[in-house]
Amino acid sequence: MNLGRLKIGLILLLSLSGFAISVQLALGKKKDKHPTANPQMDEQKQAVHALNRLTFGPRPGDVDHVLAIGVDKWIDQQLHPEKINDDALDARLSPFRTLRMDTREIVQNFPSEQMIKAVADGKQSLPSDPLKRAVYQAQLERYQDKEDRKQQTAVAGADKVADDERTRRQQERAAADEKIEELLDLPTDQRMKAVLEMSPEDRRALTGALQGDKRDEFMEGMNPRQRETVEALDHPQQVVNNELVEGKLLRAICSNRQLQEVMTDFWFNHFNVFIGKGADRYLLTSYERDVIRPRALGKFEDLLVATAQSPAMLFYLDNWLSVGPNSDVANGIPKQANNQSRRRIRNKAQTSQSKGKRNGLNENYGRELMELHTLGVNGGYTQQDVTEVARVFTGWTLKQPKQGGGFTFEERTHEPGDKIVLGHRIKPKGEKEGFEVLHILARNPATAKFICTKLAMRFVSDQPPQPLVDRMAQTFLKKDGNIREVLKTMLDSPEFWAPNAYRAKVKTPLEFVVSAVRASGAEVTDAMPIARQLQNMGMQLYGMQPPTGYSMKADAWVNSSALLGRMNFALALTSGKVKGVQVNQFTEQKDPQQALAVLENSLLAGDVSKQTHDVISARLQDSKISHRKLDDPARPPNTSLIAGLLLGSPEFQRR
Amino acid sequence: MSITRRVFLKNSSLAVVGTAAIPAFLTRAAYAAESLGAKNKRLVVIFQRGAADGLNIVVPHHERAYYAMRPSINIPRNAVFDLDGFFGLHPSLSPFQPLWKQRHLAIVHAVGSPDPTRSHFDAQDFMESGTPGIKATEDGWLNRSLHSLPQPASADAFRAIALGPSLPRILSGSEPAVAINNINDFGVGGNNPKASPNANSFEAMYEHSVDSVLHGTGQETFDAVKMLRSADPSKYKPAAAADYPGGHFGDSLKQLAQLIKANLGVQVAFTDIGGWDHHVNEGSTQGQIANVLHEFSQSIAAFWTDLGDLAEDTVVVTMSEFGRTARENGNRGTDHGHANVMFVMGGPVKGGKVYGRWPGLDQSQLYEGRDLAVTTDFRQVLGEAVYNHLGNKDLNQVFPGFDNQPGKFLKYLG
Repeated sequence: MNLGRLKIGLILLLSLSGFAISVQLALGKKKDKHPTANPQMDEQKQAVHALNRLTFGPRPGDVDHVLAIGVDKWIDQQLHPEKINDDALDARLSPFRTLRMDTREIVQNFPSEQMIKAVADGKQSLPSDPLKRAVYQAQLERYQDKEDRKQQTAVAGADKVADDERTRRQQERAAADEKIEELLDLPTDQRMKAVLEMSPEDRRALTGALQGDKRDEFMEGMNPRQRETVEALDHPQQVVNNELVEGKLLRAICSNRQLQEVMTDFWFNHFNVFIGKGADRYLLTSYERDVIRPRALGKFEDLLVATAQSPAMLFYLDNWLSVGPNSDVANGIPKQANNQSRRRIRNKAQTSQSKGKRNGLNENYGRELMELHTLGVNGGYTQQDVTEVARVFTGWTLKQPKQGGGFTFEERTHEPGDKIVLGHRIKPKGEKEGFEVLHILARNPATAKFICTKLAMRFVSDQPPQPLVDRMAQTFLKKDGNIREVLKTMLDSPEFWAPNAYRAKVKTPLEFVVSAVRASGAEVTDAMPIARQLQNMGMQLYGMQPPTGYSMKADAWVNSSALLGRMNFALALTSGKVKGVQVNQFTEQKDPQQALAVLENSLLAGDVSKQTHDVISARLQDSKISHRKLDDPARPPNTSLIAGLLLGSPEFQRR
Repeated sequence: MSITRRVFLKNSSLAVVGTAAIPAFLTRAAYAAESLGAKNKRLVVIFQRGAADGLNIVVPHHERAYYAMRPSINIPRNAVFDLDGFFGLHPSLSPFQPLWKQRHLAIVHAVGSPDPTRSHFDAQDFMESGTPGIKATEDGWLNRSLHSLPQPASADAFRAIALGPSLPRILSGSEPAVAINNINDFGVGGNNPKASPNANSFEAMYEHSVDSVLHGTGQETFDAVKMLRSADPSKYKPAAAADYPGGHFGDSLKQLAQLIKANLGVQVAFTDIGGWDHHVNEGSTQGQIANVLHEFSQSIAAFWTDLGDLAEDTVVVTMSEFGRTARENGNRGTDHGHANVMFVMGGPVKGGKVYGRWPGLDQSQLYEGRDLAVTTDFRQVLGEAVYNHLGNKDLNQVFPGFDNQPGKFLKYLG
């Protein structure tokens, strides 16, 4: 991939230093490969820079690794993630079964309220598998409770019912606490068996009372499926949500395919879907895994089409409900109508006031498709274009989304007739009109510019140089929206390697938290506590409600609350106070000043200001750090506190 | 109304000396009002993010077209709380009714931005920058509203605050402003009574950092942490009658009331509430919009109660980026529209009245044939609060490029 970059280097070198050196370069003898394009970034800095930008931050040893194989070669590897072995990550993710399930399986194993209602109404039978069955029974129990309460409220009044409910809960709770202690004395396999043998009522009470540390203790030694079942007894959809969140964090922290994960995060954020909206609670696992990640370095148009047809997006931006105002469904024309009756009914429908429940356009997707996914807000479209695009996408809908059904095209809700989008006349051809519009949008120069600006903002700087964006946009248009090629153009550019780009980007909370965990070489056994920290910092994973996604720019993330959150996280992490994250001894250096020097190198590649160094150095006298008392001069210093101060320093907030 | 309250305050500030029976918070409020003078005027801005449906919030129940255009999601005339025979409040806004009756609550209808955008992001940006159509503006109008005001004598870390995990656009700019997510853990190692050595280390690092972005924020942060520590707002529990609902918005206002009561010198404050983008199944007297309106009004009413006499010097303004289509869409929801409604409440507000000119909902009266038209620029409403309440007379600086003559104010502040 670095031919382009080499070329720049070569041309400049040729003019400056003669042919001999360039031949040496072409032969692959590395040593200061890009001296003219970046007079001040030496090879060590290049390696740190590449790691800071293309990964979620260097781990211990990463800089040496990149230097050993060469920056160019390492970048080339990252651009081809399929060739990178990631077995260790896969093993790490193997307990999370939902990450491998399709949506239908997820919905069946971790039923939504609609599924439970279907069983309660006798439309579906209880599963025979004992673990699944227990989960269903627990939810049925809860559902019936709710229905009963509704009826009682109607008769006895809300206050009375609430009081009774409280009393009953308290009694149940006390009994459940007792039962938990009893079960904890049993060996693990018998414990699960005992749970399955309980009555559904008792089981529900038990799982309701099973929280926090007690739950961890209860699930100790269980296999993944048993653990999921225990969690699902209380809240099935939470299992799906938590596994998705844990999967994302573990990938960011542990995957060797770092650029792929960075790009997956980038595209998910670009095509943002909020996990809290209805069916999207269980549609995001497949969305990220099947739609986004495989195309993260592929063709933009493929990504655009895949998101447009994804159940997650169709649901999130309401397109699945959009109906052409002149479609058969809107006009009440039955499925088997002939042309004559069709005409008669349509004429009648136009005069009548009352139409069905679904009888009109929903512009939500049409607008965000152009504003956020492709052209950008100043990309030259009008309100009329929004309406026309909405007409084009009528009929792009879902089969039973709440049961995990997928995309379908429904001719009967599709708006008939020509549509004009951005001056193009779209002839009637059903589902294919949508593909035509996506094709037009994907190739529009405004789209190229918008996407490339965002990419440069993620990888280069908050205000990316316009010439760089223009060159990336040219590649985008010339190479048919090939994202890998666009990234290559960026990575070959002098702007990317300019000294003023070094550590110029302020980390987002996700980037900060993950880079801190990576830098500290910590072992993560439970990523949920990290996820909760992110929520406190204003960056809940999958939790961005509006379709804009999270900002990548410093001004969104640099503020009082967030800075304090970062300092506190740094201190908690290094002192082992973040649950589920184990840190090792940071260095065995006994001399505090030496220990500081070691940590400055391992955590920040030595990029520590004099101010930060002096502050920490002065603190080394503090007995909290030095651990030294008159009678105990040999105790090693508190390196975790030094590490915490470094990770909370201004320098570590940038990448 | 406001005169009698002010008289009460003045009298009580004299009377409290040696009167043990008067609760401490009252004496403090009374003294504060006297000693700090104009500095104690506060403006609280609340953003309803996601484009609230103004037509279902303050309902034009006398408009036949309203009912014709919204067959399934209209608010029936017999369900609204009638305001003036033409407009009525959505029933979920019942916590606002006493405020209206006491004339502390005013409404401006058909208000909005002249910019035609129907993009949430752009429209919010314009309403926060205060310069519709101009993207290059770097700071927010609420930050600029402090520009020409006299500098407070003491530390002013809490002069401008946002409740939430990040500093919003509206408060970004050259005046120091802090974002607080939770006052109980606002500090290094929690909000301890004494600064920890770690906090001092971080402060020293950020104080002298050459990193201009982080240095500035770091300094504001540590100033605020110190002030908060000495004021200890946890002493100020919500008033007994202040019934805050659960959730982010109610929590934010509860904490804001604590900061105001702790006398930290809050002049402008901001918080927001999401969940208004009802493209599908908006609901009517029940449902999505009813739920979020209840949270919205219950939180604000609790805040009002909680502030007690301090409400006298407080003006609260609500805004949302644009309204929604006059007609319901195909999914019993509404799409992005244009003009909207704003609430203004506070001690000095001449409430009990709907301000602004009503443009009507007939086809010919709609903006682009689909939305409520804007007849009052949102900057006119905000300008009046900045000019008359905060006392900043330089509106050209706060809302550059907008002709904001005091003579054209709606005069909801008298």
